[in-house]
Amino acid sequence: MNQALIFKRAVLRGRQPILPFLLCLVLFPAPVGRAQPAIAPAQDPLMSMMLSQPRIDLTSPVMPTVAFDPPVIAPGQQSIYRVTFNALEATIEWPGKIPAPAELNLEPGAHGEILRLGPAGFEPLSAFNTRVQASAPGDFTVPEFTVNVYGKPVTVAAARLVVRPSSAAPLQAPLRLLLELPATNLYVGQPIRARAILPGAPGGIVQGLAQVQLSGEGFLVDLGGARQRFEMAARNGTRSATYVYEATLTPMATGKVRVFAQGFTTAGFSSGPISILGNVPTPIGTPRYTLLESDPIELKVRPLPDEAEMAGFTGAIGRLSIGPPKLATNVVRVGDAVELTVAVTNRGDGPLARIVPPPAPRVRDWQVFKGTDVGLPQPTNPGPGDTQQGVTIFTYNLIPLSEQSQTTPAIPFSYFDPARSAYVDLTIPPVPVTVNPGSTPSESLALVQAVPAPEGEKDSRLSGLAPFPGRTVRSLVPAQQRPWFLLVQLLPAAAFIGLCLWDRRRRYLEQHPDVLRRRRARRALRRNWRTAREAAHARDASGFAAAAVNAMRVACAPHYPAEPRALVGSDVLALIPHTGGSGSPDQLVRRFFAVTDASQFATVVPDATELLALQPDLERVLQQLEARL
Amino acid sequence: MLDFRFRFLFALTIVASSPGLSHAATFEELFRTGAELYRAGEYARAARAFAESAAQRPASGTLQNLGNAEWRSGRTGAAVLAWEQALWLSPFNPPARLNLRFARKAAQIEAPDLTWYEVVSTWLPANWWAWFAGATFWLGIATGSLPGILRRPRTVWHQAVAALAFMLFLLSVPAYVGVHTRSASGFILQKDTPLRLTPTAEAQAITRLAAGEPGRSVRRRGGYLLIRTHRTLGWVQLDQFGLICGNVAGL
Repeated sequence: MNQALIFKRAVLRGRQPILPFLLCLVLFPAPVGRAQPAIAPAQDPLMSMMLSQPRIDLTSPVMPTVAFDPPVIAPGQQSIYRVTFNALEATIEWPGKIPAPAELNLEPGAHGEILRLGPAGFEPLSAFNTRVQASAPGDFTVPEFTVNVYGKPVTVAAARLVVRPSSAAPLQAPLRLLLELPATNLYVGQPIRARAILPGAPGGIVQGLAQVQLSGEGFLVDLGGARQRFEMAARNGTRSATYVYEATLTPMATGKVRVFAQGFTTAGFSSGPISILGNVPTPIGTPRYTLLESDPIELKVRPLPDEAEMAGFTGAIGRLSIGPPKLATNVVRVGDAVELTVAVTNRGDGPLARIVPPPAPRVRDWQVFKGTDVGLPQPTNPGPGDTQQGVTIFTYNLIPLSEQSQTTPAIPFSYFDPARSAYVDLTIPPVPVTVNPGSTPSESLALVQAVPAPEGEKDSRLSGLAPFPGRTVRSLVPAQQRPWFLLVQLLPAAAFIGLCLWDRRRRYLEQHPDVLRRRRARRALRRNWRTAREAAHARDASGFAAAAVNAMRVACAPHYPAEPRALVGSDVLALIPHTGGSGSPDQLVRRFFAVTDASQFATVVPDATELLALQPDLERVLQQLEARL
Repeated sequence: MLDFRFRFLFALTIVASSPGLSHAATFEELFRTGAELYRAGEYARAARAFAESAAQRPASGTLQNLGNAEWRSGRTGAAVLAWEQALWLSPFNPPARLNLRFARKAAQIEAPDLTWYEVVSTWLPANWWAWFAGATFWLGIATGSLPGILRRPRTVWHQAVAALAFMLFLLSVPAYVGVHTRSASGFILQKDTPLRLTPTAEAQAITRLAAGEPGRSVRRRGGYLLIRTHRTLGWVQLDQFGLICGNVAGL
């Protein structure tokens, strides 16, 4: 009341309304509303989970342990050289080659890491196995060597292996992991059930395995379907508790694929849910982690044949069957969707791998869409004789585009049967259906159907092999870049140039016939000259005279021009320079012509022997005539 | 004695060179071996056999199979090169063409950019254009000039043949040039191949090229090749780039 009155008077006065207001607050503080309590920020659940985990011990000094398992073997028997570090595997720089005596045959084996819960938190434990065999008895020591861990050198102590002859006292049987595969000749993508088995001692406690892996390259392991169990199993005539780990292995690379199993023994502990079948003495006590491995098994993986692949093959391998396809309803309207389901059952011995439904077919009167496939769970506790069967449901949504359709379209599907090495057709058959006219106009349905089909299926896979090499060549270099090609092109050029030159020469000779005449005359002159010499050598005077006259005639013929046989002595004299005297060419020509004319036309053949002595003069005359040609 | 020794050595040479005693496998035997290994799934060995067969006598079928084996072995660049070489030898090889389309789609790599005359040059085997151009050229020359040289009457069909031959020659010239320019093209063989700024090992990498990516060789320096890709120009090592005509040393 007092507060209100003071405030009223202050406000009515209007002079300093704020001052009385503050005064009121100071003198008569109104009950202060409690401020909202501070809300702590919500903590990230992942961070909370991480912080709640025990820490990993990375600071303790690294103390490697090394041992041969077993330490005493016979020649040809295998021992495992095992080095264990209390450090993370990624920080260990394990050497590619371990120093060892030459008599030992070393082969890298399994390596793995496990976390062990200790007083200071998680202790990392990393183990490296090396398979060792010795061919001869003796004591062998693998010397100590240094390994970098966390960037610092750590010494691995020496270890001794004793190889005793086989006739010595029986040796301790080493603890070994066994890997069982139902088949080793497989196809790419063919799933098989791999079993890693750790047998226990007869009547003894069996150990479980942790961090079980199937190691190697070229295959996938489906860890989602892995199972493990303890069971009593007969082995080598005795029943003992056995740990079994099963997983599905699918080879993805062709050729030879090596696989082996490895795992850390955990006496009393195992990771994941585990079944106990039968009266099995289960292990108790603190876990001892030893990295065990099995002998590697080599798989021969072949590629699926390309040639006979059927339509609708999506990678399913095994033995399958399909149930009758079911439609949600058998009476539909044009444009309304209807669901088609079909169950695919695995009938083979192998596990049911993830099967991809076949692609929706493109047909004229239907639009088909692939739905989601639903797989029923596998049996969780199969007995030793159970086959891994399962069912997958394929679902499709179909929309009829025409009321003329009477059945749904067939959907091509096939699988590969490795037992028969052949593809098997499992096409989903058509289902009878009644299609009534719908409200959707047919023109819009036609537009939908007019969408161009995707590029053919032939683009989506590799072709087969070519059966023949085909036409061969010497080199991939194109012919025009090879030196001999230029030479080959020059040949017709050279031939053409030669022809042109020949034609040119021929035209010249046609335009200058005396050139040919003189050439022929020179040849004939030499020929007759040669004959005259031979006749003179043979002392054949008449032959000598005849050849000399012929030579003179052919040498003079081109100058007229005339046939050489038509020329007489005066014609020859006209072309020879006159010098007079008895030894002049005139006399010589007259004498030769007289003798030859007389031998031809006279009744008495004159003696031409004296003409043989005129051979030198004749040579001079013929030289003069030749010079004029 | 010398005569006997010579005759003995000569006979030994004849016998040793006879086919029955020859140990080197022929290209057909290597082809068959490669096919058997491929069917058995031994792709790496099959690729080696096909490569040796192609080295002896290149053939389109052998190169197609080599490409298949290289693809199965995971060597994309070598596969693309082998298929391109198969088409270089014989464009009438649909499986090789389909395989290239499939591989480029699967590996997300581009096809080489070809000019119009290079596209024309792909219609026929590379060597055919050179012989075709030469034959039509000389046929035109011969039918045009030989009648005159040989003094035969020049008829209409002489001129028609000459005109046709010259026309075909002119039409084949672009393809002839296309073969020549296309012979410099090639493909990256290894994945993540660095394209370097200079022809040295320490040079800065401009970019990294995927296996099967096309390029054109420009010139060579030492152990490096200057190539032009879709994006840029740079140097790669000789063994990282496969030429379509397989002749790197000739540059």
